[in-house]
Amino acid sequence: METFELFTLAFMQRAILGALLLSILLGLFGIFIVPRRLGFMADGISHASLLGIAFGLLIGVYPLIFAMLLAGIFGILLARVKDYGRLTQDGLVGIFLAGGMSGAIIMMSFVPGYKPELFSYLFGDILSIRWIEILGLALYSVIVLMLFQRQWRSLIITTVHSDLSHVIGLPATATRYFLFIGTSLTLIAGVKLLGIILVSALLIIPVLSANQIGHSFRSTLVFTQIIGVSASFFGIILSYIFDIPTGPSIALLLVITFSIISLTYILKKGARDS
Amino acid sequence: MRTRIKMDKSESSNIVECQKLTLVFGTHEILSNASCSIPRNSLTFLVGENGAGKTSLVRSILGLIPLTTGNIFIHSFEGRQPIMGYVPQSVEFPRQFQMTVSEYLNYSASVRKDSVESVLQKVDFPGSHMNSRITELSGGEVQKLLLAAELHRRPDILFLDEPLSNVDDSSEKHIIDVILEIKNSGVSIVIITHDWQTVSQYADHVICLNKNFLCETTESCICRNSLSKVEIRNIQKATPDPNTRHEGYCYIENV
Repeated sequence: METFELFTLAFMQRAILGALLLSILLGLFGIFIVPRRLGFMADGISHASLLGIAFGLLIGVYPLIFAMLLAGIFGILLARVKDYGRLTQDGLVGIFLAGGMSGAIIMMSFVPGYKPELFSYLFGDILSIRWIEILGLALYSVIVLMLFQRQWRSLIITTVHSDLSHVIGLPATATRYFLFIGTSLTLIAGVKLLGIILVSALLIIPVLSANQIGHSFRSTLVFTQIIGVSASFFGIILSYIFDIPTGPSIALLLVITFSIISLTYILKKGARDS
Repeated sequence: MRTRIKMDKSESSNIVECQKLTLVFGTHEILSNASCSIPRNSLTFLVGENGAGKTSLVRSILGLIPLTTGNIFIHSFEGRQPIMGYVPQSVEFPRQFQMTVSEYLNYSASVRKDSVESVLQKVDFPGSHMNSRITELSGGEVQKLLLAAELHRRPDILFLDEPLSNVDDSSEKHIIDVILEIKNSGVSIVIITHDWQTVSQYADHVICLNKNFLCETTESCICRNSLSKVEIRNIQKATPDPNTRHEGYCYIENV
């Protein structure tokens, strides 16, 4: 009975709604980011954006605004790197990460006393999410989903055969900018859910898990969404029942799901080969 | 001089004209002041030794790589901008992206599900593999799949980079027949190849790219950065002659 009661609690409703929206968006971006071998980008962007959060905390303004601004700039720069051959994307992410984290730590040293808000951004605090934030997230999700719909074919073709996208006149450059900026901003939107440390889990692990059981693009996409949404939903429920942190519960569920799928895949493959 | 690809509304006898192209990657000069043209409704072969710049030339025409200097004119086809098609020698599909043959045809060439089998049949691709993942295909199957998708898009100019390099003997004849069939339907085709036998059998027009120079053939000729546009149909032997060969020369013996 207690388990069902939790759905009547306003903060749980907000948390579940926020988590579902974020897992859908991150799953969609992840399916195009992972094949490009840019999983590290997610970690780098979210960590580097700590600088924006630290700045917000220092001046007493909503920190995610600055983190999003910074992540947007990182996204643009990453999309542009492809145009200027010698610097690689993962190299640039490494530079963002080092610069952002160092700047954030130095900045935080100017904020006197204990810094509890900083920890909520580092490890996530979905239960404290407000209706206004849910509304903002919902609006953002609608815009991103509309852009996905417009860019869908181009996203697929630029991932699978990028030359062809130019030859058949798809907007390959616009697609690249959408992918990098959108991923960066969505990662920051997910900081409240999983925290800077773990947010990339929701971008990467559902796709990696689904890749092992999906036999087509459509089925992999469906599995990615099922895994991401389920882990977010049950992670929140478990964190409430056992009174454990929400972000790590979701991330751990994702890792367990990945491990079970991988093990099953290996055992099945072994049985088939023998 | 500014370099650009220009769409031209005139109905020239050539569908593509390249003028004084120079292409430099870093310190490496791939093409130097090279010119050539692709006649309409022809089967043009682009030949030359490894590293001569054949693929780079095609990719420049397609706008995939920027030129250092020079101009490319792409003339209109039936009063509109021609549709380009391109089948590269190989494509490495990302292993972390699950996509079936049928899905690839759908997204790349808008092939409907009920037409997939017939589209694949055209290039001798086994219909039983239509639900296979594209990452599990052999090199030859990938080439056939890319060709099938491009044929379905019905391009006006089709560039094929060594289309028979990974294909087995039984499929080779089939694919050549398909290429000749679409050429006869009005498509201009450019094929990069090292297979001189194929060139001698089927070429309407040959562009020989030797080192930094482009040359086209006259009868039994030695071309030196020359740009004559003589149609040749029966080259029996066409090799760079080791005795007369030096940088900038392309030797084609027409028997």
